[in-house]
Amino acid sequence: MTQIYLQDSDKTRNNSPFRGKILRRLKFYLIPGYRVPEFTEMEYEIGKIKSKRKLFRRFLTPLTILGFMLILFIVVLGVYAPWLSLYPLQEITPPNYPGTLEFQPPSPGHPLGTTKFGYDLLSRLIWGARTIIQAAFIPVFISISGGVILGTISAYFGSWVDTLIMRFCDVMFAIPTLVLVIIVAPLIGRDLYTILIIYGLLYIPYNIRFMRSLVLQVKQNIYVRAAVTGGADKVRVMFKHIFPNAFSPIIISFFGGMGLTVLGLAGLAFIGMGDPSVADWGTDIIYAKTVLLNSPGAALWPGLFIGIAVIGFMLIGDGLRDALDPRLHI
Amino acid sequence: MGQAKNMVYYIIKRIMIMFPILIIVLIITFILSRFMDIFPVIRSVGFNLDPNELRRLIELEEQRMGYDLPIFQQLGIYLMNFFTGNWGNSYTVDKGTPVIEFIIGVFPKTIELMIIPIIIVPIIAVKLGVVSAKNKDKSKDNVIRFVAILGAGFPVFFIGNLLQIFIGRTIYFFTYGEFDMDIMWSNALSFDMNGRYYTGFRLIDSILNNNQVFLMDSLIHLILPAVCMSIVSLASITRLTRSTMLDVLDQDFIRTARAKGVPEREVINRHALRNALIPTSNLIVGGTAGAILGSLFIETVFDYLGFGYYFVRSVFLADYLLINGFLVFSSIVIISGTLIADVLYTIIDPRIVYT
Repeated sequence: MTQIYLQDSDKTRNNSPFRGKILRRLKFYLIPGYRVPEFTEMEYEIGKIKSKRKLFRRFLTPLTILGFMLILFIVVLGVYAPWLSLYPLQEITPPNYPGTLEFQPPSPGHPLGTTKFGYDLLSRLIWGARTIIQAAFIPVFISISGGVILGTISAYFGSWVDTLIMRFCDVMFAIPTLVLVIIVAPLIGRDLYTILIIYGLLYIPYNIRFMRSLVLQVKQNIYVRAAVTGGADKVRVMFKHIFPNAFSPIIISFFGGMGLTVLGLAGLAFIGMGDPSVADWGTDIIYAKTVLLNSPGAALWPGLFIGIAVIGFMLIGDGLRDALDPRLHI
Repeated sequence: MGQAKNMVYYIIKRIMIMFPILIIVLIITFILSRFMDIFPVIRSVGFNLDPNELRRLIELEEQRMGYDLPIFQQLGIYLMNFFTGNWGNSYTVDKGTPVIEFIIGVFPKTIELMIIPIIIVPIIAVKLGVVSAKNKDKSKDNVIRFVAILGAGFPVFFIGNLLQIFIGRTIYFFTYGEFDMDIMWSNALSFDMNGRYYTGFRLIDSILNNNQVFLMDSLIHLILPAVCMSIVSLASITRLTRSTMLDVLDQDFIRTARAKGVPEREVINRHALRNALIPTSNLIVGGTAGAILGSLFIETVFDYLGFGYYFVRSVFLADYLLINGFLVFSSIVIISGTLIADVLYTIIDPRIVYT
């Protein structure tokens, strides 16, 4: 109904003799600063598209595209692992011990040679891509969402809540986090997901502090105060007004954190805290530690793949930073 | 004058806050370490075929060590001992050695390894970052960025492995020279000093003992881990310096300074660098605290028997008291590191005032 009503009114206005094209053109030529409303609207739309395009252009630098390609490579490996690898996952993980020799040089049956227990290195690398994607995503998601919730609450409520949360952060900062992961993870189990979740939980304090500083900045803005004055309840102000305006730094730190998390988890696996029952690149490196000089490939290929994943995430994070929020330093 | 007085009060306040944090850290780690699924007593009792005999031995050993008491009683005893200066004895890693003595013996080795990276790396890294930001998107910048991202992206142990395989294999001096090859790989104490240990620093001790073979040996072993450590911390500091520097160079006061006719060198070194260093100093001090504690991975890769190596080892062997000692020690280092960073802020940026 409303639609029809609007159209009718438009028609009547356009039909009137004094509002024709000529009058408008005259006005346009004679009155300086006069703007045709339709044209202004169109201009505004074009400007919007242009700014979007500009953002996209700024984002798509050669380095960022390289980062995307690296990550795409890892994702393709993970998705098409059953078709790409020579051996199924069951044959290259510990309950199964094939009879082949350990640490063999490359051969037609094993294009990159074999690693400990005679597993095929290439197949382990390809299946490891699935592990690394999970390892990048789950801990960062947990730590950032926990940090967002607690950090926003801490900065918004202030007073004793803030003090309590910040003192908690102080205590957690005083302990080397990686060592804490090593101590806590075996308590619950050495399953891959357990390690990932614990890793995410223990890195929450870093994100709390980060989010808190962001929210304290956004909180000063007038629209937040207007919302409070207008009687919006606290949860609404926090997650409808403050959170979206602190969103781009979160996205940036998400990608930056993914790279660091992959590194940290690879390190854990290297110390020997990884889940031995999955194909993991960090575990491959520690397998090859004792025969480093005789078969260097067994240690170098997995490290190279970890590097590819980490550099991909870092490049995307840098590109996002340059495009969205150049003032942010992570 | 007021500023200095405030500063002193601030430092004293921070040191006072340190104690409750340390106690909480102690309690948390003590309880957490007792819940680990590694049981140290079995290791020390050994293997016995008769299950009843084994059980009796384990119970005896538990009673001797006091592990059969309720956990809060153990915690109380430990805390009481801790503040009277008795941090307990190591149980599985190095049986019978007092924890404090163990840490004092291990710590100088890590310092020896990290002292050169700590001093030299921030200077070079800040310089590289500034050069990179000054020639943005030129060939110099691209080279520095490429190297920095390689250093930051690859895992430490991968870089360590690369160094071991390529440098250790190709350059004879490092491995097959006058010295035993195995000593290169495992930084073991197979060479004996044949003298007294005065300070615990092997370089200083060997000079004091006039033992040149030992000095040379120690020096050669230090090179690869130190290079590895340098590459990694160099990369992260360079990246951060570049991004902050680019941000600062964009601002109005830089344009004003250039318009005034301040020479370019002055603009970079006095106007821009000081502002760019504020976020970077945090990373530098944090990285230094991390390096003093010994990067776990570097010491594990090179089998360098320092702080980080024994830290991991004590966790794996469930040496409860040693874990606590290491953690408290590292907490002290980290907390004082952040305190130093906060004080450094006021020197770099006089606008920051603590009350």
